[in-house]
Amino acid sequence: MKKVIISLIMMFGIISSTSFAGTLVINTDTSDAAPKKAFEYIIKKFEEENPDVTVKWNVFDHEGYKQSIRNFLNTDPPDVANWYAGNRMLPFVRAGLFEDVSDIWKDSGWVDGNLSENMEHAKKSMTIGGKQWGIPYTYYQWGVYYRKDLFTANGISVPKTWDDFVAACATLKAAGITPITIGSKYLWTTAGVFDYLNLRTNGYEFHMDLTLGKVPYTDPKVQAVFDKWDELVKPGYFLENHAALSWQEALTPMVNGEAAMYVMGNFAVAPLKEAGLRDSNLGFFQFPEITPGIPMAEEAPTDTVHIPSKAKNKTDAKRFLIFMSRADVQEEINKILGQLPINKNSSVKKGDPFLKAGLNMLNNAYAMAQFYDRDAPAQMASEGMKGFQEYMSNPDRRQKILERLEKVRQKVYK
Amino acid sequence: MFPTPIHQRPIVNQYIYKIFLPISLIIWLIPIFGILMTSIRGLGDITAGNMWGIPSEFLLFSNLYDVFTNTPMIKYTLNSFKVTIPTMLGAVALSCMTGFALANYKFKTNLIIFFIFIAGNFVPFQILMIPVRDLTFKIGLYNTITGLVLFHVAFQTGFCTLFMRNFIKALPQELIEAARMDGASEFRIFWKIILPLTRPAIAALCVLIFTFIWNDYFWATVLIQGDHAMPITAGLKSLNGQWITAYHLLSTGSIVAAIPPVIMFFLMQKHFIAGLTLGATKG
Repeated sequence: MKKVIISLIMMFGIISSTSFAGTLVINTDTSDAAPKKAFEYIIKKFEEENPDVTVKWNVFDHEGYKQSIRNFLNTDPPDVANWYAGNRMLPFVRAGLFEDVSDIWKDSGWVDGNLSENMEHAKKSMTIGGKQWGIPYTYYQWGVYYRKDLFTANGISVPKTWDDFVAACATLKAAGITPITIGSKYLWTTAGVFDYLNLRTNGYEFHMDLTLGKVPYTDPKVQAVFDKWDELVKPGYFLENHAALSWQEALTPMVNGEAAMYVMGNFAVAPLKEAGLRDSNLGFFQFPEITPGIPMAEEAPTDTVHIPSKAKNKTDAKRFLIFMSRADVQEEINKILGQLPINKNSSVKKGDPFLKAGLNMLNNAYAMAQFYDRDAPAQMASEGMKGFQEYMSNPDRRQKILERLEKVRQKVYK
Repeated sequence: MFPTPIHQRPIVNQYIYKIFLPISLIIWLIPIFGILMTSIRGLGDITAGNMWGIPSEFLLFSNLYDVFTNTPMIKYTLNSFKVTIPTMLGAVALSCMTGFALANYKFKTNLIIFFIFIAGNFVPFQILMIPVRDLTFKIGLYNTITGLVLFHVAFQTGFCTLFMRNFIKALPQELIEAARMDGASEFRIFWKIILPLTRPAIAALCVLIFTFIWNDYFWATVLIQGDHAMPITAGLKSLNGQWITAYHLLSTGSIVAAIPPVIMFFLMQKHFIAGLTLGATKG
């Protein structure tokens, strides 16, 4: 592995040593079709607007990038690299590998750099140690997707509080409908539920402390999260054979009207609509309030661009970051991605109620969590999600699971 | 003659045969039928749980279009040919020579060498994953078609040698001795006598190796990382979306990927079946 990386680095060494002034090297992990198209578009647009800059763009495989970024940041950094907000960027910030870009956020003379106003809601997830370390360009909302027609047929209105939510589940269950569908075969879906329960029960700061390893998993506050979870798991409000299904397969009961809700990201809308659901019978609502008075933080995994601290062409890199933060650019990128722009002055595709609802919710959010597997380190996240799935299948093992997770925490965050 | 032809069996057996043959055929073909049906569907049907029913839309052509436009499928297919054909030629050429040598020359280590070739077939290739990856990397062939071809040639030569050696061994020795008496050089014997006689075996072997290598998935994923050298079997996974497993596109792509070996099989059917039994019965 090491050798592979070294050869990769050497390869890039050769590429980048041929670069000259006015060349902007951008590394991204956008190997999937839509993100690739989005970057093709913005790089072309950037070059048109800045004819003095030539962009050299390296696309890495999405999975492989997680390994390669550690190396190229150290040895042969590009001028711009894409990455993720929140705790995911923490190791690079701590190691001094990302450049402080607070000046862009503070509007200190950069054209169009008035970010503190336009992206205030996303500032927290870009801030470490009081400074900002990158520019977010896309995210998407998480929340509850539900069957409007099933709600209406059973006389349920959109739940705003936890009690309403549990009552709605009880009504649906009594009517023979699975209240919440979920497919936990690949584990991560359970983390969406956990994150929201924790964000609503204990708030954003506690959730960050937990994923940063500052709080034990046996903490009473974590127990309180599982108490809430119990209220859904023990009466059987989740789809019964969830451990056997992928998230995608768990859409089927919802399409067929056998299940009413899904705690999911906005990417679930496309396949649901393709399977025949319409705006008239598919809806979205914000995850309901649990502890009154806690500011509503949302789950919104954010993609970001950064300048490596060892970049050669930082001037043009900053121009690119400012370009990426512009309302019109974010609007275009996110039209291609089908996701949400962070800049408040961007609009979304007209006539998409889900994007509109998401935009509205996130623009007013207190803070953004990045999803458990991005906020917590990989090893903790994988054990954590295994634990969540086990708990959902056997809620009685909760204590044992939490003790096990606590042991993992002590090992991981040494 | 074994097995006894069915029409010579008791009448009861014939009926049992006639009943169970179609049933087992259907069971065997269900997965393929499923793939064919899925390749016609859209994603909507799959999400709605309509896996086996009548497709609500006929989307085969749009799926095909997506397969070829969303991903470098043509490049993957070319890569597959670039891996498969040199491997086939290399392995068969080498094994003709090793087979000839092992079948005709008596030397001390003959049997041992032959057993080494055979033993190579019994090494589960998963065990070799890490050493082979390291080796190709150190030679500088990691992530190249050449590296994949060389490895395949090396690994397939074991089986091919067993096959060719047994076939050549069964040829009448008199032919070779007569040629020697007439003063033909060893190479001439190999080229003018052995090779023409082993043509059916070579044809059978080519078909076998072609299908083996074309269908290889494991080594393609171990030794190849980028689109530039990825064969089609491993390239199919790029048909998936960022979030979604695109079962309909995967099915269509799999059918596309299966076409060359199927054509090869039908063209060379006679040799293929001969090939499966050739090595087994002689020796």
